[in-house]
Amino acid sequence: MLPLRNPQHFGCLLFHVDTMPLIKWKNHQTENIEVSLMLSALQQRYGYDFSGYARASLKRRLMALTQYFEVAHLTELIPAMLYDEAVAQTVINSISVPASEFFRDGAVWKAVREIVLPGLASFPRINIWQSGCGGGEETYTLAILLHEAGLAKRARIYSSDINPAFLDDARAGCWSRRHLDDWRENYRKSGGKQDFEQYFVARDGEICIREELKQSIEFIQHNLVTDQVFKEVQWVVCRNVLIYFGQELQDSVLHLLSRSLERGGYLLLGHAEKIMQLTEHYPDLEELDDQAQLYRKKVCMIRSKVHDHL
Amino acid sequence: MTTYKLLVIGLSAGGYPLIKRILQALPKNYPLPVAIVAHLPGGDESNLAQLLDASAQLHVRMATDKQVLARGNVYLAPPGYHLLIEQNGDAPLAFALSVDEPVKSVRPSIDVLFDSAAEALETSLIAVLLSGANSDGAEGMATVKKLGGLGMVLDPRLSEFSTMPEAAIKRVEVDYVVSLDEIISLLLSVDEKS
Ligand SMILES: C[S@@+](CC[C@H](N)C(=O)[O-])C[C@H]1O[C@@H](n2cnc3c(N)ncnc32)[C@H](O)[C@@H]1O
Repeated sequence: MLPLRNPQHFGCLLFHVDTMPLIKWKNHQTENIEVSLMLSALQQRYGYDFSGYARASLKRRLMALTQYFEVAHLTELIPAMLYDEAVAQTVINSISVPASEFFRDGAVWKAVREIVLPGLASFPRINIWQSGCGGGEETYTLAILLHEAGLAKRARIYSSDINPAFLDDARAGCWSRRHLDDWRENYRKSGGKQDFEQYFVARDGEICIREELKQSIEFIQHNLVTDQVFKEVQWVVCRNVLIYFGQELQDSVLHLLSRSLERGGYLLLGHAEKIMQLTEHYPDLEELDDQAQLYRKKVCMIRSKVHDHL
Repeated sequence: MTTYKLLVIGLSAGGYPLIKRILQALPKNYPLPVAIVAHLPGGDESNLAQLLDASAQLHVRMATDKQVLARGNVYLAPPGYHLLIEQNGDAPLAFALSVDEPVKSVRPSIDVLFDSAAEALETSLIAVLLSGANSDGAEGMATVKKLGGLGMVLDPRLSEFSTMPEAAIKRVEVDYVVSLDEIISLLLSVDEKS
């Protein structure tokens, strides 16, 4: 028998267990526990850490999987996900959303034509890092812009994504024709003067980007959460990726992006991804166009106190 | 007694004059921040914020990612993005955006805003559906009601585009199915209640 050092205390504990009310949980709060458990399983088994992602939309995407797999509760997917990599890939694909378009937000690319491209031309070499390339629509948008500005030969685009399946799609560079009207309209709004369709060839009922436009691009797997800066670049394009991150993760990723920029280099974020408290948190960056969310790494840091004392 | 903390409004076709009147009526010191999803034909959403701001007493603007909600402001979902409400622990209520697939073929989706707001605020939420030619918002209104929020729908008989309000009241029993004037006076009475 266990020695009971304090029988009175023991009695007291029993009393508590008897009457302790089970906290009433609403279903949606219990689902939040399920989301955490899924993320933990995914992280321990496959190494992908989504714990810092913005919860509301992440939960919505995960809950949609219960319908897809026809299960009553999200956690029922954990065993399948742990033992079947195909299930895990489906889960990862549903967490990372590849949605993209050619020249999405036309006015933004107009600002790029007017501000970024002439600026880039002044650098001896032009390296561009596009993080979160999804299916490649935006990657080839960059290639077309460089081509039209006569910079394609001097530039290299490093396009990265966390999801290797998306990188394969992006490399292939083929899409359904049904997008063409929307993309042509976006292109026109960006100030494009050419015939947009000339950048594609028709193949098996799809449109595929011309091989010439692939030449300056390298696709690489890179995870913004766990991987480091891999190159100093003159332009970072990271659009509609930060919205998927929670505040803390967003901060650390913004610092990573800013570190990889050469001084005078440009940072382009998604149309609705405004950097809050820019001057306090990112003294190295300045805003060039708040409609386009276009920033620049300052050419030289303002010398502070030390300078004043001299 | 309930203290409301957020007002969410959804509208589509035919909704512009209605939201304009609501915003004209809400005073400068209105106690709740307001979040709106409006899908208007032809991508007219882009300058909707400016148009409404010109006649409203509250400050109308486009929501940005991670922005903290503050009273005195009306926030519109940016075109092409879903707008969601995030409640993380003790942190203040903030917006989150996503470019996830359209829901019922629209993005922004009223369902997405209402669902996330209902989960974040439960009984402290007021949700209003105005007019539209699709059924967006019905699912979201059902979530609002399930979690104890207050739901108001414009009387479909008074709406030119009645599909949206009809779908909502068919899907779930809401607290008020009334005219625009009554919606406005209910929203104004929140002032005293909270
Ligand atoms: C919505 S898409 C954006 C596509 C494109 N940039 C655009 O705006 O059109 C977001 C992309 O970010 C990628 N992503 C998500 N988490 C990531 C991470 N931790 N590191 C790198 N890429 C990530 C997703 O796989 C997805 O392809």
